Amino acid sequence: MSLHRLFAIVRKEILHIRRDPRNLFLVTISPSFLLILLSYIFSFEVSHLRLAVLDLDRTPLSRRYVATLTGDGELVLTHSLRTHDEIVPLLKAGEIHAALIIPPGFADTIHGGRPAQVQAVVDGTDPVSGGQVISSIGARSGVFVAGSGADSPQAGVQPVEVRSKAWYNAGLESLLSMVSGLMAIVLLMPTLAFTLALTREREAGTFEGLAVTPVTGPEYIGGKLLAYIAAGLVSALLAWAVAVLWFRVPFRGSLPLYLFLTAVYYLACMGAAVVIANFVASQQTAMFIVLLAFLVPSFFLAGLVMPVSTESLRSILTSYLLPSTHFVEISRTVFLKGLGVRYLLRQTLALLGMGLGALLIGMRLFRKKVG
Amino acid sequence: MFSRVGTLIIKELIQFRRDWVLLTFILLAPALQLVLMAQAIARGVNEQPTAVLDLDRSALSRRLIVALDNSETLRIKYYLRDTDEMAEMLDQGVIRLAVIIPAGFAAGLDGGRFPQHVQVIADGSSSVGASLSMASVVEVVNRFSADLIAGYGLVVPEFVDFRTDIRFNPTLDFRDYSLPAQLGFIIYQVTLAVAALGLARERELGTLEQLMVTPLRQSELTLGKGLPAMVIGGVNFGIMWVISLVVFHVPMHGSLALLTALTLLFVITVVSWGLVISAVSRTQQQAILFVFILAMVEITLSGFIVPAENMPPLLRAVSNLAPLRHYLVIIRGIMLKGAGITELWPHALALAGLSLVMGTIAARMVSRRLE
Repeated sequence: MSLHRLFAIVRKEILHIRRDPRNLFLVTISPSFLLILLSYIFSFEVSHLRLAVLDLDRTPLSRRYVATLTGDGELVLTHSLRTHDEIVPLLKAGEIHAALIIPPGFADTIHGGRPAQVQAVVDGTDPVSGGQVISSIGARSGVFVAGSGADSPQAGVQPVEVRSKAWYNAGLESLLSMVSGLMAIVLLMPTLAFTLALTREREAGTFEGLAVTPVTGPEYIGGKLLAYIAAGLVSALLAWAVAVLWFRVPFRGSLPLYLFLTAVYYLACMGAAVVIANFVASQQTAMFIVLLAFLVPSFFLAGLVMPVSTESLRSILTSYLLPSTHFVEISRTVFLKGLGVRYLLRQTLALLGMGLGALLIGMRLFRKKVG
Repeated sequence: MFSRVGTLIIKELIQFRRDWVLLTFILLAPALQLVLMAQAIARGVNEQPTAVLDLDRSALSRRLIVALDNSETLRIKYYLRDTDEMAEMLDQGVIRLAVIIPAGFAAGLDGGRFPQHVQVIADGSSSVGASLSMASVVEVVNRFSADLIAGYGLVVPEFVDFRTDIRFNPTLDFRDYSLPAQLGFIIYQVTLAVAALGLARERELGTLEQLMVTPLRQSELTLGKGLPAMVIGGVNFGIMWVISLVVFHVPMHGSLALLTALTLLFVITVVSWGLVISAVSRTQQQAILFVFILAMVEITLSGFIVPAENMPPLLRAVSNLAPLRHYLVIIRGIMLKGAGITELWPHALALAGLSLVMGTIAARMVSRRLE
């Protein structure tokens, strides 16, 4: 392989990128732009669980109970119901997360020193909010117990209580998890640009011109790859700046390390693109493949919101074959844990392996032919 | 008019047949992707690798450990020797959660020194996983406490005995929640992409001029470009819906007719958005860029990652313009809750309005483009 020819291709690609403003945007700026768009939501996230109450007791104590539940704003009283029948339609329409039923005789039972039964009818369709509503009501009911001024000195004190602490993200702010995790998604855009670049030349017919030069297949692919990784690193730097300066996500690790690992991530994704491009006739198809094979699965399977499923070998393989899954871990570890390569060996090697393997196969399959 | 539109559609079909990779992809890939993703998505936060540091080593502490291990959410993988080992494992990401039982735990409980504190340390870099795991530990400890109360004969009257009745998804299964959403996303993305590339591709390849000198009127061209996209969207929906029911046993409690009708409205709206993009873009690359950006914004606003209620008021208002947002409520409502038009009418109305508005805008912009 001639380095001279390789770098000639690199220079040509960079010129192409710079000359076409849309391509430039796609490669360098779109990740930052998208990061802002997608993360904006998480910077204002407020927990808002909607509760309807069917108070069949209507005593000062039952009203105090409801007040305790809704006191700090996490649970919001949206409907005061009169009958049971109102509950299910509200649940079906998605207007409330749960309905609380306070039975008649609630106050009398409690004053008599016996437990009063309260029922919550919960909408289970969204397991995350469903679980949240249940633990919210449960926790606040517990507080109500303690404040009721019971006779027994041990009332309201449990034998065993939990003290919890979250490391790396003490307030369990979703913004921190999501911005660092979303980097894996927004940094797919340079890969998209690379894939389009690979297919565009063939589609537009300018590939013929290249085919008659002495440039070899590996030099052609390698040159494009280097150019797009370099441009992609610029965009990664910009996105990093957005995360740290705009969203104020703490960055506890080393920036050079982060950029190096980003390059490895690009290698894995773009390597896959090299293989795919051999089978793809048009930019349109290329776009679909990146969309459906990388973007959408990454939203669901990369551990962005829910942790990666370890239920079966198949599910483990599916998630871990996606480069994004590894980079979500890497990004969060470097941002929030501030650790070095020693802690990320598994993910780094996985990405390197995927990238080099794909490149070898892709270059093998590449035919410097026209037609 | 119909014969001209018909001829155009036949031309489109012939073109699709030529790029058979694309056609296969568009028809099969969504279904394939649904299957792959659905089986890989976690059904909940399950089997989170947990480590225990038991400083008490009593029969009671071992009972607590067994109780934790029996919970679905946690899987005790390691028994630690000291806090350094715990820190190393959390840093490495080998465990997501550590439980510390203090020395003197059993002795303290026997001696009536309440409460004894169990410490939980979670890896906060994945905020949702961490909060769900921590909630799980709290639940196990509370039950353990309740058993102890009975065992020790304490008088801790539970003033409020709180029962839950979970409707529609009694096991809080995350898969049933996410599958309909995936269906919605995939239809959205494929339909949008096909519609968006329609005109841009022809313009870039130069074949649009030839179309313009045919007797085709502008409205017929719009229809001819939009209909194949709608058909593809519809076929995809059919295939994936069947798969969801037959392979993944997602419940279908509501009316298929209603779902189909509303899906049609949804597809019309998305195709309109695609045609608008197609009219505005001068190259395929630009169209692809718009498709990606719009898709990511739509996924975020759709309420899947962050429920609409948790969004800041401005974003919540904007999210009502996103067809996907309404469609997700509709498809989940119909499939999981058996909701009908009486409960879903606001969203159905929104979709109808959006399809009308976007359809008109699309037709207007496409004709202006073709002048």
